Amino acid sequence: MNPFNYNGGVCVAMKGKNCVAIASDHRLGAGRLTVSTDFPKVFEMGPALFIGLPGLTTDSLTVVNKLKFRVNLYELRENRKIRPHTFKAMVESMLYERRFGPYYVASVIAGLDPETDEPFVTAMDVLGAGEVNEPFAVAGTAEESLLGLCEALWEPDLAPEDLFETLSQVILNAVDFDCLGGAGATIHVIEKDKVTTRTIKTRMD
Amino acid sequence: MATATFFDPESSGFQFDNYARNQQLVKQGIKPPKLMKTGTTTTAVIFKGGVVLGADTRATGGNIVMNKNCSKIHYLAKNMYCLGAGTAADTEYTTRLMAGKLELLAMSMRRIVPVKSAVRMLKQMLFRYQGHVSAALIVGGVDMLGPKIVSIAPHGSSDNAPYLAMGSGSIAAMSVLETNFRPDMTAEEAVKLVRDAINAGVTNDLFSGSNIDICVITIDGAQVIRPYEQNQPEVLKKANNYTFPRGTTTVLSQGVRKVDYHIVSTEIRKTDEEPMET
Amino acid sequence: MGDGERYSFSLTTFSPSGKLAQIEYALAAVAAGAPTIGVRAADGVVLATEKKQKNQLFEEDTIVKVESVSKNIGMVYSGMGPDFRLLVKRARKIAQEYKMMYQENIPCIQLVQRVAAVMQEFTQSGGVRPFGVSLLIASWDNKRPYLFQVDPSGSYFAWKASAMGKNYVNAKTFLEKRFSDDMVIEDAVHTALLTLKESFDGQMNETNIEVGIATAKDGFRLLSLPELKDYLKSIT
Repeated sequence: MNPFNYNGGVCVAMKGKNCVAIASDHRLGAGRLTVSTDFPKVFEMGPALFIGLPGLTTDSLTVVNKLKFRVNLYELRENRKIRPHTFKAMVESMLYERRFGPYYVASVIAGLDPETDEPFVTAMDVLGAGEVNEPFAVAGTAEESLLGLCEALWEPDLAPEDLFETLSQVILNAVDFDCLGGAGATIHVIEKDKVTTRTIKTRMD
Repeated sequence: MATATFFDPESSGFQFDNYARNQQLVKQGIKPPKLMKTGTTTTAVIFKGGVVLGADTRATGGNIVMNKNCSKIHYLAKNMYCLGAGTAADTEYTTRLMAGKLELLAMSMRRIVPVKSAVRMLKQMLFRYQGHVSAALIVGGVDMLGPKIVSIAPHGSSDNAPYLAMGSGSIAAMSVLETNFRPDMTAEEAVKLVRDAINAGVTNDLFSGSNIDICVITIDGAQVIRPYEQNQPEVLKKANNYTFPRGTTTVLSQGVRKVDYHIVSTEIRKTDEEPMET
Repeated sequence: MGDGERYSFSLTTFSPSGKLAQIEYALAAVAAGAPTIGVRAADGVVLATEKKQKNQLFEEDTIVKVESVSKNIGMVYSGMGPDFRLLVKRARKIAQEYKMMYQENIPCIQLVQRVAAVMQEFTQSGGVRPFGVSLLIASWDNKRPYLFQVDPSGSYFAWKASAMGKNYVNAKTFLEKRFSDDMVIEDAVHTALLTLKESFDGQMNETNIEVGIATAKDGFRLLSLPELKDYLKSIT
């Protein structure tokens, strides 16, 4: 078995016009057993910065704590909010530091630059390799379906409400074909003055 | 400091604290997950007065194309670039680390660093990790000794030649190079040859694909052309706009939170206009 | 216990009146060093220093005092050359490590804080002495110019213009009179050279001074000999 399949779960993020959105499903499993249906995998790292960490849940929770520690230290030291680009570099070096004993988590980052409001999304593998110039980012058990759905459904310059609909349909249809994900989903739409968090209805089987 | 949990952001070197746990998981049948790889075709040739480097842009995870336009031409120094094949994280990180070391070296030597020094530093680093850092590199550049290209295998061995190919598509690319390479080509001829060699990889190797990136380096500087050629057939264009009417998705709950903004600067200006009469 | 540990107490200890004599002596070493000027303009910063040879047989072009730390940051010193070289090495490494970690050039204030922390460490550790240098660190980042001074104690200040080394009191008075906020970089170089000239013993030429500038366009760089020659022409 692959460590990603033990707890299951997916994350996906997309760029819109002056906004970004990030979503995850709600299932937490232990192998084929479903343990919880209220377990989103997206964590808040700043007022307009989120990270999704699907993978082995024990590692996700460790990584999110370590990252929060690093972000807090950075923001105190530099007396400014961390930029999504800088945060990505931070996650990357933390994951690559463990090249020979990795945390079993992939990451999806979504945020707006605190100074320019530029949308930012990226995804990384367990070693911290990823590209920054893509309009969408996926990770987790339904990775392949998500990639295909994003490629087909993503449109440039989506308004926040439309971005929500597109991303919702992407994650909804992807987890419907994934035994290890699903059981509801949470979507955060990040705009420069507000974050809208919605939970959506999916199949519960 | 005794507390192992205390974090030093500037600590360097690899951490092995998860290693034993991960080995234990392997014993229980939980294997490490798939990594992002660049199967890759990369080639480099020397022409009269410079070098041309080229690469495809496909990144894969298992049998899935994870990225259709990833960059495999990495910056090392103003006069030097590096092509990377293998595990994406390894090639990215190895070349970035080397770019930093080369900048330090250039500052303390007060001159441009020769290509052979960069090659030696890279192969010593890769040899130290005994092939576990899986980066298959081609370094190319121009220095006071002229144009030079060198390939470095993950275990740290290196090859000097006037034309080189690396990655899973190297066999296809090498057939083109062997047929068409001539010494002292012009820059245009060399770019054409590299393009043809990469194209052979893109069409014949399953783990290479998408676009072709090219980098030309002469004594006057380096130029990265990205993309040099885009292989996107017309059929890939979307026929329809797939947007959903608002309200398609059933929302169970909704919360809106205002973002506390990070104020960079505040400016209050008086307007020169006359006050409006009411 | 090894021989090394016998002396592993700090040499910098408080006198009964609350002074740290070693730090004051270090400042005296700085005040006896070659004059160094830093001037911040609206569009850049200039660092200038005197590089007079003690012996005419020296190969003058092998001595470099104004050093770059990263693409946009440079530094210069008054005091002891060997101490400065160690700090340059540390500063460059700090800058590079920051870039490796965050994929972003180190902001000047971060570099200054970290270099100052190194200098502070040498006032409190065992078996070491404080650095015999004060630094001027210049940078263009965050869309504005920065000029910082770091002293042997590890304290640092941001300046509009500053002078260190021999004759620094007079030089500062001179700068106070000449400085204006809307100066451009050419004026700042001019002002820095004039200030150096005030206390210069003998003829000032392009080989016995050194000037570096930080601007938005080029980051930090040394002025070439022809450039220096042109500036010198305008102040005679």
